[in-house]
Amino acid sequence: MKKVEYQNVKRMTSTGRIIHWVNAFAIVAAVITGLYIAHPYYQTFIADPAVDKYVMAWNRWIHFIGAIILDVTSIVIAYLYFFSRFEKPYKKLIPTTKNIREFFAVLGNLLTLNRHKNFDSSHNDSFNTVYFTILHLMLVWMLLTGLQLYVHGLESGISSIGSWWPALLHLATDWTIPATGGTLMDVRISHHEMMWWIVAWTMFHIYYQIWRTIYWQEGDITIVFGGNKFVKKEK
Amino acid sequence: MRDKQDAVRSLFTTKSARVDTNRGDAYYQKLYAQCKARLAELKKFEPLGNRVELTEILSEEGYDRRDFMKWVSATTAMLMLPSFFEPLVAEAAEVMNRVPVIWLEFQDCAGNTEALLRSDGPKIDEIILEIISLEFNETIMAASGHQAEAQLHDAMDTFKGKYLLFVEGSIPTGAGREWCTIGAGGETFEEHLHRVAKDAAAIVAVGTCATFGGVPAAAPNPTGAVGVMELVKGKPIINIPACPANPANMVGVILHYVLTGEVPELDSLLRPKFAFGYRIHDNCERRAHFDAGEFVEEWGDEGAKNNFCLYKMGCKGPMTFNNCSVVRYNESVSWPVGVGHGCIGCSEPNFWDKYAYERPMADANIKPPTGGVEKTVDEFGLGVLTATAIGIGIHAAASAAAGKKSDDGEEK
Repeated sequence: MKKVEYQNVKRMTSTGRIIHWVNAFAIVAAVITGLYIAHPYYQTFIADPAVDKYVMAWNRWIHFIGAIILDVTSIVIAYLYFFSRFEKPYKKLIPTTKNIREFFAVLGNLLTLNRHKNFDSSHNDSFNTVYFTILHLMLVWMLLTGLQLYVHGLESGISSIGSWWPALLHLATDWTIPATGGTLMDVRISHHEMMWWIVAWTMFHIYYQIWRTIYWQEGDITIVFGGNKFVKKEK
Repeated sequence: MRDKQDAVRSLFTTKSARVDTNRGDAYYQKLYAQCKARLAELKKFEPLGNRVELTEILSEEGYDRRDFMKWVSATTAMLMLPSFFEPLVAEAAEVMNRVPVIWLEFQDCAGNTEALLRSDGPKIDEIILEIISLEFNETIMAASGHQAEAQLHDAMDTFKGKYLLFVEGSIPTGAGREWCTIGAGGETFEEHLHRVAKDAAAIVAVGTCATFGGVPAAAPNPTGAVGVMELVKGKPIINIPACPANPANMVGVILHYVLTGEVPELDSLLRPKFAFGYRIHDNCERRAHFDAGEFVEEWGDEGAKNNFCLYKMGCKGPMTFNNCSVVRYNESVSWPVGVGHGCIGCSEPNFWDKYAYERPMADANIKPPTGGVEKTVDEFGLGVLTATAIGIGIHAAASAAAGKKSDDGEEK
């Protein structure tokens, strides 16, 4: 048996990890409250008059705060995709021969149950970068459709922070109405449906990271906690 | 290429429902002068066919001047005009019988005409609609057959380019459109609409059928029913959707036209913003119960007896732009949510398929755009999750069975 030595590789900065967990909790909060908004699934067990229990209002508030946090981190992530000093993920998205080959090598590794592993697993690979980008595109769609649904409550064209806010929202999101099918309900259906895709995305994401940890034996799951993983260095 | 550019441009400049309720003094002063000139012009004309004076008919119905002036203030506010327009609005109501109206009816239930005719004790809105110079209306006119045809011809000829065309009902354009004809000439609805629309000053599509196709256009839309704005181009069109359209909004549109000679400000669906600029939800009397999470769970339960929010019974007030919750129906006596049934979104496009399913959207069977079996969004979502879980399960089981293997292909 060969002697295997492990080398420590830094994979995520502390900023990256904070963003990851903020995103994760914001998504969980948005899903729990979003399901309530779509169909209030529990009763209000508070023996107060309507005026101060605000169950739907609190659900909507948490949903909006979760959404706004996601919106802000999305902008930060979009910036880091191009300008991060640590790793620029966009470089893994450009369809160069090298990236395409790596993408299919990693996909092949997953489909052949780790029989073949002919790529460098020390850095962030093309397959995972594409997979993360899909999440961010889904989140952008949630941002646009969600803000469209939100601006319906600001029809007066004024808001406490000025009229630029609803005007900006209309300018940025009105096109989602014709894009989803022409009615406000289509935007809502699209927003709700995309939530399920994001949940499905998360399921596979968690499974895949655990699978990598078990089968690659390089401690991938620790990336998101400590920022490091280990790569086998053969002697 | 040009089409494509236009499509992109219209996609990104879609007008929103944003309402500008204060345009500044200079604007309103100018508008006031313009309206005054317009009314002076109209007063020179004799009343058309209908010579009844508004003041007389109002006193016959038991309304005094004070009632009328209260109505005038409410209508001025509804049209989003400053209060100094009130004398002008009163004058405009009095000269409304100088504006000829032709009313056509196509595929519908005549509900909009009914809404006007069957109200018990007409309110001022309805009285005013009765004294407008209604030159032609198939449903309520005495003439029939060739006489009716001749009357339409006369009206179109006499008031060429001046009449307001009210359209009620959708127009079939698909297979079977030839079954819907009018007159001895066997003119299809579409031809009839085009002929009468050609010389109209403006077209008012009344009710959801005439605006967006409504119930006749619901899936699978066997007659290929469409609204007026799909067919008539190059004419000012005002949509007053809802099922039925609120008489207050019809009067509002006519009054605005009489006052200014122009159509009121419209949103991207050509609906007047004064009526469709806000959601039903925003002024709903049950809104506090929505925020509190107090919902009617089934018909007749304790929540229903206590006027709780109808959202879980399928109320679509949060997605429906209309002024029902403010203006209400039948002399402001009541409205659907007021009597304990949720809004069905009847003033939104495709309302029958997309809104009126009597349950929250998450529980409603919605036809996928690709056709096939109707599913709720949540059933679809759980299907996606199940498929993901099965995929993960298979992969995990296969991985466990295959065991760990290193990159050099050797079993450890």
